[in-house]
Amino acid sequence: MAEAEGGIGPSHWTNAAFVAPYMLILLGMLFMPLCLGIWLAFQDYDMLGGWSGGVGIENFQNLLDDRIFRGTVRNTLKFVLMTTPAFVALGLFLALALNNTLRRSALLRAIFFGSSVLSVTIVTLVWRLVYLPDRGLLANALGLFGLPGVDLMTSQVWALPAIAIVTVWWIIGLPMTLFLAGLQQIPPELYEAAALDNAGRWRTLTGITLPSIRRTIVVVAVIEVILQFQLFGQALLITGGGPDNSTRPMVQFIYEAGFRDLQLGFAAAASQVLFALMLIAALAQFWAGRRKGV
Amino acid sequence: MLRRALLPLATLAAIAAAQGLTALPAQAQPKTEITFARFFGACEGDYGTSQDIAKARGECGVMTTLVNLFNATNKDNIVVKPQIIEWGPYYQQLNARIAAKDIPTIAVMHAAQLGDYTRYVEELDGVLKEAGIDAADFTPNARTAVTVGGKIYAMPWDTHSWLWHFNIGLFKKAGLVDSAGQPLVPKSVDEFMAHAKQMKEKTGKPYVIMATAGAGDFANGGRGYYSWLYDQSGSIFPAGYEKADFKTSESLAAFGVFEQLAKNDYITKGLDGSGGLGGFMNGIGAVYMTGTWRIDDFLAASTKPGGALSEGYTTRVFPNLFKNQAVWTDNHSWVLPKGGSTTPATRKAALTFLKFLWDHNFDWARGGGHLPSRQSLMADYAKLPLRQYVVDIPSFGKALPHEVRRQFGFQNMIGEEVANIVNAGKTAAQAADAAQERSVALLRGR
Repeated sequence: MAEAEGGIGPSHWTNAAFVAPYMLILLGMLFMPLCLGIWLAFQDYDMLGGWSGGVGIENFQNLLDDRIFRGTVRNTLKFVLMTTPAFVALGLFLALALNNTLRRSALLRAIFFGSSVLSVTIVTLVWRLVYLPDRGLLANALGLFGLPGVDLMTSQVWALPAIAIVTVWWIIGLPMTLFLAGLQQIPPELYEAAALDNAGRWRTLTGITLPSIRRTIVVVAVIEVILQFQLFGQALLITGGGPDNSTRPMVQFIYEAGFRDLQLGFAAAASQVLFALMLIAALAQFWAGRRKGV
Repeated sequence: MLRRALLPLATLAAIAAAQGLTALPAQAQPKTEITFARFFGACEGDYGTSQDIAKARGECGVMTTLVNLFNATNKDNIVVKPQIIEWGPYYQQLNARIAAKDIPTIAVMHAAQLGDYTRYVEELDGVLKEAGIDAADFTPNARTAVTVGGKIYAMPWDTHSWLWHFNIGLFKKAGLVDSAGQPLVPKSVDEFMAHAKQMKEKTGKPYVIMATAGAGDFANGGRGYYSWLYDQSGSIFPAGYEKADFKTSESLAAFGVFEQLAKNDYITKGLDGSGGLGGFMNGIGAVYMTGTWRIDDFLAASTKPGGALSEGYTTRVFPNLFKNQAVWTDNHSWVLPKGGSTTPATRKAALTFLKFLWDHNFDWARGGGHLPSRQSLMADYAKLPLRQYVVDIPSFGKALPHEVRRQFGFQNMIGEEVANIVNAGKTAAQAADAAQERSVALLRGR
């Protein structure tokens, strides 16, 4: 039996049995739906009416002409740009503040992570009560200072940032935890050396901490870009995409086109556009991270 | 020795066998489970085990109690397993279930949806007869609603429609009541705006409460738009069902009513469903635009001393502000999705349960607020509190014909444009333009 070059044991086709379950699931649950989705994007397929044949790139042309869809692309990109830096900055700030062995820090870590376990339904119910015009928590809080209530949900300018705030509040726990894990990998000797050199806090942060967790920063940014491109539940439940389409994300458009309006081919084409955007954004970040020598 | 030891065992076994044989007739009916997909909410906390149908209130209370009652009293050992889904995503989930072959035995369906589903639900002409349900007793409105291409595809459960619900206390304060203390209902758009102005000046509150903020609320604007469009004998399909026209004068006028309300702050803005409901109960506005299904809830609220409705509550059909009285209607109905009954036993059980529901149609109308689907119950329905004001709806209620595809898509899209007028300051013309553009996308493809 031939020895595998550079391997740790003899090569034999039966070894494939070890990876086969994973490969089968990967092919069946990911690769095949992906291929079917791409095929579907070029068809006229009504969920209840059935298949009416191929339509070439017509679904993509219709997407380009669709004002609502163009709006959802704009909204989604804006949302990613609002939330991803917030997740990175706030997650890092919380991790730095809570990266110690104090009991209150452990409690605060649990509290900040706690909201992540709530379902989107609960989170949006709570925040609707906060944002409710006239009688919501925000309106009451402003009223205490003699300020008039603001109706964020009917403002085309503020509705999307308001959803971004909900999202950051909801799932800040994950980036915080990833940064905590990254911070705890930094050898303590580096900090001891910096202390001996009388390095200040800022110098320590910029000279030791940030360079040491640069890889984590890229991971968090890529994860958040991928996650936030998939904005759906919060927007659907808080504003339904309004006012005047100013908060409708791409996933809601896909959901409505496919499952409400039954246009599976059209929805699949929109899904491919979303997939392409996510891929480009994630690759760009990854590439930028590598250029910096990560 | 062994024989002596085995004898008692054999005796015991014989007794057990005999008992088993005698006990068999009592348990002769094997259990038959059927699934029952519905919306109408979940309320196990209040009605989890209740079988007292007379005490059930609201859609959820009546529906839950009916299933409890059937499961406890049917003699065929049938167990109905409710599958309760929020109404907003109900059809999306039903579509996914049909695609995945996870099909419920019985499912609720709005008549407006039926045209899209005829390939997937059974024709019921013969089935209803087999179940002992007399289709001749359907109201004309209900019959039209469940008939597609001359065939019946569902058992109608009700007719429901769009109403104005009045806070009489605020109407009194605004001086908008007649000599009998009943609210003055406007008969034209100008009169409506004059009343709304008077309401705002005298009470400081908006005339209209309508939920417009969430995706589940968009239907509200759609129903109001349709009602005022139908009052003008208007249609969004003046030239066939494959091309909509939102720029007709009637359509612009229907959108225009909402524009006037919004521009003058005569309507609430940014409220979701619970905010609108709670707002009406707390007196933040004078008229709540919602459906027949809320009558009982508001009647109950009006009996609470000190409540915002304690000075009186009443309801009227969505008022005719134009030429002739018409109003949006839809119907809840029960369908048998193809593939949902897997055995003759489940099919028989489904028909038995349908018949049970048919026999309790009045309970649904009483507790749920809707109009019954049975003509023979109409006279008794009219005797229920406030129902004299809505009992005539089936005679002038209108719905889109089944030939119109993607009706829920239309209702949501129109409602979203109404919400854009109310919340985002769009004009009627801008909303009509947007609806026109979006209707092309909706009707695209097969």
